Amino acid sequence: MARIFWVVCPGCKERFYAHYEDFRHKPWKLRCPFCELEFAQEESPRIDE
Amino acid sequence: MALARVEKPRPDTASAAAPEFSFRRYLEDLERDSPADVIHVKQAINPSAFEATAVLQRLEECNRYPLVMFDRPLALNGKPSAFPLVSNVYATRERCARALGLRPEQAYQALGMEYARREERRIAPVVIDQSAAQVRNVVRRGEQVDLRELPIVRHHRMDGGPYVDMTPVMRDPDSGAYNIAFLRNQYKGPRKLGIHMSPRHNWQIARKYEEAGRPTPVAIVVGHHPAFYIGALNVSAFGEDDYEVVGSIAGQPLRLTPSETWGADFLVPADAEMIIEGEIAPGVREAEGPFGEFPGTYGPQRVRWVINVTAVTHRRDAMYQDIFVGHRDNWVLGAFPKEGSIFNRIKGVVPTVKAVHLPTSGVGRFHCYISIDKKVDGESKQAALIALGACDFVKHVIVVDSDVDVFREEEVLWAIATRVQADQDVDIIRNVKGATLDPSQTDDILTAKMIIDATRPVRRPFEVRIDVPRDVVARTDLEKLIGREQLARIGL
Repeated sequence: MARIFWVVCPGCKERFYAHYEDFRHKPWKLRCPFCELEFAQEESPRIDE
Repeated sequence: MALARVEKPRPDTASAAAPEFSFRRYLEDLERDSPADVIHVKQAINPSAFEATAVLQRLEECNRYPLVMFDRPLALNGKPSAFPLVSNVYATRERCARALGLRPEQAYQALGMEYARREERRIAPVVIDQSAAQVRNVVRRGEQVDLRELPIVRHHRMDGGPYVDMTPVMRDPDSGAYNIAFLRNQYKGPRKLGIHMSPRHNWQIARKYEEAGRPTPVAIVVGHHPAFYIGALNVSAFGEDDYEVVGSIAGQPLRLTPSETWGADFLVPADAEMIIEGEIAPGVREAEGPFGEFPGTYGPQRVRWVINVTAVTHRRDAMYQDIFVGHRDNWVLGAFPKEGSIFNRIKGVVPTVKAVHLPTSGVGRFHCYISIDKKVDGESKQAALIALGACDFVKHVIVVDSDVDVFREEEVLWAIATRVQADQDVDIIRNVKGATLDPSQTDDILTAKMIIDATRPVRRPFEVRIDVPRDVVARTDLEKLIGREQLARIGL
């Protein structure tokens, strides 16, 4: 597995993780698997990497 | 770059006498011959709200693995679906053996061996007219397509959405060979799916199209005879035509028909339950996942390709098939087709190889148990290296002597306990291509492999296993000595 980072959805506050090289510090929007909100990672209240 | 024309498939002339190669025929036979293998859920359930996988999970927690048919699933649009949902087809080796025409008692070493035997052949597919193809009883194209009518399953809590998890077929633009692989396809809209590919054969095909700036044609086979999917799991080289391999595994030519979207330039299985056709748009990526993957862990959200769905064709009373990924349905299916291939490759160098097993404890891929009748020291490591080279999923190889049954994990672990000195019998190989979905990997591609040589040394005396004299065991009549009533009490 490649490096991942955990992210908290700014909408529903649920946590999920994403592929570090695909997303981290890149402009792709994340999509919350729980509430389907699309958001920029800077909007997340907490990122664990 | 145009799609290569089809050369090898021939018109259907000889298949009239062959037994019907369909999912429904397999199910009919299974229900008749082994009714305990099939469970019907007659109540309405919502697969996109985890209600299908919750049933499978409950059964798994009871150590039961029947094929489950959900007779009244809801579609993604919340209405009763026209398509029954079938899952857990491959969760026992016995059902897989039946799919290849073997008896349930042939479900262990014989299953892998038979797969290996068939995999060495090729049976060219045959082409039938679209008008005769049952998978085209109903044809929907363009705006008529609405994936929300399907009972698409949301499997695990953190999945990015409902997923179609059967096999996309792609066609190499250079050789014209078809490749079939299990890949996850996330529902993204009525005519849109996400697709995840690891750097394997379909990935190579899609990369070629993308580099040429062209969309990649893809046809997802959403239900077929189990032998179709078992055949798709062969480990043949890139450029081998999987339709031919599937025919050889099934023991009869696979019947194909021109697709709705690309006609004769892209053939699809004529006897499938359902085909979803679409094109992977070049240069387009979106967030996809997470998804509960085969190791039993979630693969992370990725930036991945998108399929624009062009058509859906299906039988009039089609069934919708799904795999319970990350569970036995997925692990058994991934195991025995590789066992046969690995066995064949080892046998060329270590002719005394007896059996190969990829146990479910290693998710049907990561652990590989090999038994050999070792004649000289070093043969065990040679066999292990071949297994590692033959299949990049294999991570830990344990080689045992032929007195150990590799299908009984307790025996394999006993061999490790009694025949292994870690400083002498364990080897680590660093920086080998692994599986990107292995959560233990610290690199996206590279992994470490391990060989445990749990065989007895040849060149020095070694203690032997204890044994009760076989002739006495053989003549011991338990029924006479213990009585039928007591035997029944202990389940014998």
